[in-house]
Amino acid sequence: MSDAVLVIGGGIAGIQASLDLADMGKHVYLVEKSPSIGGRMAQLDKTFPTNDCSICILAPKMADCYDHSNTTILTYSEVKEITGSAGDFTVTVLKKARYVDAKKCTGCGECTEKCPAKAPDLFNMGLGTRKAAYLYFLQAVPRVALIDQEYCIRMTKGLTKDGKPRCGVCKDVCQAGAIDFDQQDEEITLNVGAIIIATGFDPYDPTSLTEYGYRRYKNVVTAMEYERLICASGPTGGHLKRLSADDRDPKTIAFIQCVGSRDLHHNKYCASVCCMHSTKEAILANEHDPEIHSYIFYIDIRASGKGFQDYVARAKKEYNVTYIRSRVAEIAQDAGENPVIWYEDTNSRQVKSMTVDLVVLATCMVPRTDAVGLAAITHTALDEYKFFQTSPLAPVDTTIPGIFACGYCQGPMDIPESVAQASAAAARAAEIVS
Amino acid sequence: MSLEDIIQETKTFYCLDCGKCTGLCPVSRYNPAYSPRVMLENALFGFQDDLTYNHDLFSCLTCYACSSKCPGDVDYPLFIQKARALALDAGQHGDCAHSGTVQSLARLMSNPGVSQNRLEWLSDGLRISTQSDTMFFVGCAPYFEHIFDFDSGAIDAVKASLKILNHCGIEPVVLPNERCCGHDMLWTGDVETFRRLAEHNAAIIKEAGVKKIIFSCPEGYRTFKEDYPKYVDIDCELQHISEFLADRIAENGLDFSEVKRKVTYHDPCRLGRHLGIYEQPRKVIAALPGIELVEMEHNKEESLCCGTSAFVNCDSCSKQIRVDRLLEAKATGADTLITSCPKCQIHFRCAMTNKGEEKGPDVEIEVMDLVNLVANALGDGHNE
Ligand SMILES: Cc1cc2nc3c(=O)[nH]c(=O)nc-3n(C[C@H](O)[C@H](O)[C@H](O)COP(=O)(O)OP(=O)(O)OC[C@H]3O[C@@H](n4cnc5c(N)ncnc54)[C@H](O)[C@@H]3O)c2cc1C
Ligand code: SF4
Ligand code: SF4
Repeated sequence: MSDAVLVIGGGIAGIQASLDLADMGKHVYLVEKSPSIGGRMAQLDKTFPTNDCSICILAPKMADCYDHSNTTILTYSEVKEITGSAGDFTVTVLKKARYVDAKKCTGCGECTEKCPAKAPDLFNMGLGTRKAAYLYFLQAVPRVALIDQEYCIRMTKGLTKDGKPRCGVCKDVCQAGAIDFDQQDEEITLNVGAIIIATGFDPYDPTSLTEYGYRRYKNVVTAMEYERLICASGPTGGHLKRLSADDRDPKTIAFIQCVGSRDLHHNKYCASVCCMHSTKEAILANEHDPEIHSYIFYIDIRASGKGFQDYVARAKKEYNVTYIRSRVAEIAQDAGENPVIWYEDTNSRQVKSMTVDLVVLATCMVPRTDAVGLAAITHTALDEYKFFQTSPLAPVDTTIPGIFACGYCQGPMDIPESVAQASAAAARAAEIVS
Repeated sequence: MSLEDIIQETKTFYCLDCGKCTGLCPVSRYNPAYSPRVMLENALFGFQDDLTYNHDLFSCLTCYACSSKCPGDVDYPLFIQKARALALDAGQHGDCAHSGTVQSLARLMSNPGVSQNRLEWLSDGLRISTQSDTMFFVGCAPYFEHIFDFDSGAIDAVKASLKILNHCGIEPVVLPNERCCGHDMLWTGDVETFRRLAEHNAAIIKEAGVKKIIFSCPEGYRTFKEDYPKYVDIDCELQHISEFLADRIAENGLDFSEVKRKVTYHDPCRLGRHLGIYEQPRKVIAALPGIELVEMEHNKEESLCCGTSAFVNCDSCSKQIRVDRLLEAKATGADTLITSCPKCQIHFRCAMTNKGEEKGPDVEIEVMDLVNLVANALGDGHNE
């Protein structure tokens, strides 16, 4: 028997579950695949319906979670195998080499500064680049650098004729002597009594909706990209601009709802947060520049949470947001790289076109691609959309006793709902390990 | 079939009332009165008369631009096909283009007693046989030759197809008593005539004992593949000539002479969205040495319709759609617009005959069937 709990995934749901359990005096192992905890919420600019700065309300929780005496945070790590049953699971975790000694690294960023190799910045949704030696993002927790072996010159280019490595600048500049090219992947075995899955979602890739021209047209971006574009810590320093070479500030923005959601050819379900996040994003645009007029193209506005309808009403009244009832048919582009939207206004029954400066696609949110793998490892069942299966009267219980699921990995939900579920999952797990 | 049955069969009740179909529909862009969404809405409300007595019921091109992207996967063109049968029962029909000649001919052909002079065009050393396992389905091209007052190119495409098949060592069966496949009858609601044509064709094909049928007309191909099975038995492998050619080229290559053209390819709705064949014609074009293929803004799944289907309700809206498509082709810088359908070719060529009209700017581009492009490259200049 073990009185520890394993939490898989360090987004807001995983963080909240870990904090609750740690506060109850249980030991928590939080395994996070990426180099930092924080999840999608760390990538958002503000949160609806209060417009709180997302990272500002998240960062204290990330720090508390990491600093808590009852937690062990394993980032850049993945669960490989689980055996046993409720009360007594044996878990094998692969801790990938960061090539940086976490105990020595101060997170000063000197290596990042001097590293000559560039890589796509995945935290910024691939907009812009970062270095091969990098911090996942400014407020990353733990604040430990790592080296991306796919892009590191030293690790990819081999030795020179006279047997010397081709780079090593990071090692030379690191005052703390933390760079360690010999670091190896590590396998860690844990014994836990309960497991909480909180692996969240991936944004759906809208490229297959060819009628919307994503990737073909520069000024058609996804909502996730938009969150980074408008965020002060994003690739443009929070200066909202178009991605075409003209660099122009947009004055008209169209938000397209249900991109790949509620669609039998893509994902059947409603992703549940997009009506609200597009409203938020349109409000933020207007806060950045009061001249901006936004149009939200929707089938129906699903503003069913607390304060949500008011939020939509305020967007219309105070932030120059117009709602148009239509599922957009096609996006073309004019000679000035301006997106041209074709749609039927279903209220006036007219087919119209509208030329805008920027289009934001509210894409569906889908389970992480490795949900299938994790379900196999945990022997839990997935539902028809590959969300972890739960049931109405046991909403955080998976199909395996002792294994729970919370947050977006088990179905569409926003941050407050993810947090509520996380606390529920923590309470359920605590029953087992008490 | 009742309206209720049609709603069931086409899954109209899945409609989200979102308007994506109408936004995509090429007709709705020029004819503000026409909205596929509103058509479905009327059907779902049970307003049958608003459907059957609506002139625009016959304006739909059944091009599948709408349904291919419909989030509810509603089969709107099928809905139209069936609703037109209801309308015909109520004595309603669309405006037939070319004085209804095409429709009249199809009805004439459905009479089993009629004998036709169908093979007059066979000449120039083109070889057919009565023994082959493979049949070539000619379709209505021999009639098209005499209906239009401009060069429709339809029979040239048939000759080119035969030349290609001969070149590949196939002397196909070509039946002198073949009939119109019935495509236009089915899609304008005349199910009875369609059934008679299908039964006739099925019987003579069975008698010929062939194992495979090759088509150059995508409408015939679609009809045999998707619609005949609901009425008759055709126990043969079916292939469009672009598929046949793509296979041949992949297997052992064909010896082509150089083709100094810059071309763009127009996907016919029946071959493209109806049957999902986008790559084979492009592979065939790419196999021609010296050729340059450029894509139009709307291509493959997003391709635009040529503007008319089943020769009904061909109006200023149709003309506008055609001119727009031709302008798109022109904008690529191509010198030739290639298509793979005799009717697309007819409609494009027709649009270029009435110049100086108010309906759109004059536009000039050579329009050619894929089989002519290929046959020309096979040497001996037969179809130059
Ligand atoms: C554009 C956009 C804007 C949004 N705006 C708002 C908003 O304003 N307000 C609001 O309430 N909600 C908003 N949301 C929704 C919100 O992002 C989610 O509700 C929330 O992030 C769900 O949190 P989570 O912890 O369940 O998942 P995630 O945030 O996805 O976190 C999951 C974590 O698990 C990790 N992980 C994944 N797989 C594994 C694995 N196999 N092993 C280990 N770790 C793994 C991931 O790296 C990640 O850190 C928005 C969503 C989008 C797309
Ligand atoms: S696109 Fe489909 S779901 Fe939307 S209105 Fe048209 S038929 Fe209905
Ligand atoms: S099939 Fe084509 S013409 Fe008919 S409604 Fe759909 S898009 Fe319009």
